[in-house]
Amino acid sequence: MSFVALFFLAMPPITHALWDRPESWIGGFPLFFVVLLAIYCALVGVLVWALRRGV
Amino acid sequence: MEPWVVATSLIFVYLLATIVLGVVANRRMTVDMEDFLLYGRKAGFIVLYLTVVATFHSAFAFLGSGGFFYTHGIGFWAAGTWTLLVGAITYVLGPRIWALGKAFGYITPADMLADFYESEAVRVVVAIVSVVFTILYIQVQAQGLGYIINVASGGRISFELGTLILLVVAAAYLMAGGLRAVYWTDVIQGIWMYVAVWVGAMYLAYELFGGPLELWRQVQAQRPDLLSLPGPRGFFTPGMWIGMTITLSFGIIFQPHMMIRYYTAVDAKTIKLLGATTPIYLMTLYIPAALVGLGGAVAMPGLEIPDQIFPELLFAHAPPILTGLILAGATAAAMSTLDSILHANMTVLTRDVYQRYFAPDATQSHYVWVGRGFVAALLVVGYVLSVQTFDFLVVLVTLSGAGALQLMPAILGVCFPGPRTLTRLGVLAGLFAGLATLYVTLVVIPHPMGMHGGIWSLLVNSVAAVGVSAVTPGPSTATLERIHGEVERQVYGSST
Repeated sequence: MSFVALFFLAMPPITHALWDRPESWIGGFPLFFVVLLAIYCALVGVLVWALRRGV
Repeated sequence: MEPWVVATSLIFVYLLATIVLGVVANRRMTVDMEDFLLYGRKAGFIVLYLTVVATFHSAFAFLGSGGFFYTHGIGFWAAGTWTLLVGAITYVLGPRIWALGKAFGYITPADMLADFYESEAVRVVVAIVSVVFTILYIQVQAQGLGYIINVASGGRISFELGTLILLVVAAAYLMAGGLRAVYWTDVIQGIWMYVAVWVGAMYLAYELFGGPLELWRQVQAQRPDLLSLPGPRGFFTPGMWIGMTITLSFGIIFQPHMMIRYYTAVDAKTIKLLGATTPIYLMTLYIPAALVGLGGAVAMPGLEIPDQIFPELLFAHAPPILTGLILAGATAAAMSTLDSILHANMTVLTRDVYQRYFAPDATQSHYVWVGRGFVAALLVVGYVLSVQTFDFLVVLVTLSGAGALQLMPAILGVCFPGPRTLTRLGVLAGLFAGLATLYVTLVVIPHPMGMHGGIWSLLVNSVAAVGVSAVTPGPSTATLERIHGEVERQVYGSST
């Protein structure tokens, strides 16, 4: 469920409505790029967590 | 020494290394179909990891993705979603497919589906779908190889000759060592391509812009249209984003060269570990691709073939040795996928067609030689198809993925026991309806209403499969108990 919830954050319409802000930057990188990278890393984290828990 | 000589020489050194590995693999091989086609079902984590990621990422990752960022902008960062989905699918589905393969001796996807749905028609249709749609993939990889060697040699080796040389080399080591040779070469290819993309992209970012941060600033200043959705040409609509995510994850996973990899694992735990960790490699490879594509749009605008942005930048701005090493990495990316597809098609044709219908009682040695004959024939077919060139490799990959995606309802029906399962007629109806819809939504009216054709075809396929299954007889109780029982033993530890 955590994976699905996080995954939807990286899918339309959220990507196109919330993260598509070319004027916003984080640490010298576009917000769009940084936010999606953070979500992708979190999704890997969920998979690794599931593996460790034996799910 | 001239840059093209260094670059071309390094590619040929790399090719020689793959042939040597093929010969060594041949000496380790036993004359046995499971050993030749499935690595003896003994693949451990490291070998399996590198072969899966190297096979998934191909000429498309090296050339097509840079070209896509170059043309359509930051929307291609959607690529991360399908790599994550690949990990999740592998984690959930992979152990089930592995367990069934081990328990019932399956070698191909058609083996599993024909056994469960008790239908030779299902076997034949699945085998045809597997071969037809992955032959398109051979074309994509072969064209990528042709581009690379043509660019590396500065046009001195023609696209056609480059394609032929690389196809022959891949076929040679596959015929010599079977899947063992493919896996061993994939280990080198997987490491080489990853290092090459990162090193090349970072070198160019510092050489051209003084670093990645300045690269992003320059893109914002000069090409702000590349930093918003749906991109300069309106490509990354929500429908395309979702469509590419599904077709490039499920669609590729259900292609025979990926599914066969599940059968080869030494145990189910290895596949789960694979699922949890493959997205790290797959997703992070698109970060340097973004730097190359977006930076290239600023540094080298107006390129006629966007897919060539990476090699063009290297030749213009990097030292020859580095260019050669990186282009050898690009060759590795394409060859690691090409050899796997050649192997999968050989396996399907040998197992599902030749052994089943022409010579069911021949010796193991006979089948191994027949498989080698199929590789030679596929080499010729792949080469002929490759003569026709396309600008965007990634679009062809999507077409290939959408074809294999049509196997999804049938495979889920096998791997996920439920109160009501699909039937053989339902599966066949779904496949035919899905393939017809795929043709309409990709060729006649491409991507209706902004939604990828693969999604339309999957929807029609699923409705037809469920609808027909509701009124036709399903698999026998004995088959359901045998196969679903094995799945439940794998998932829950015991049959319920």
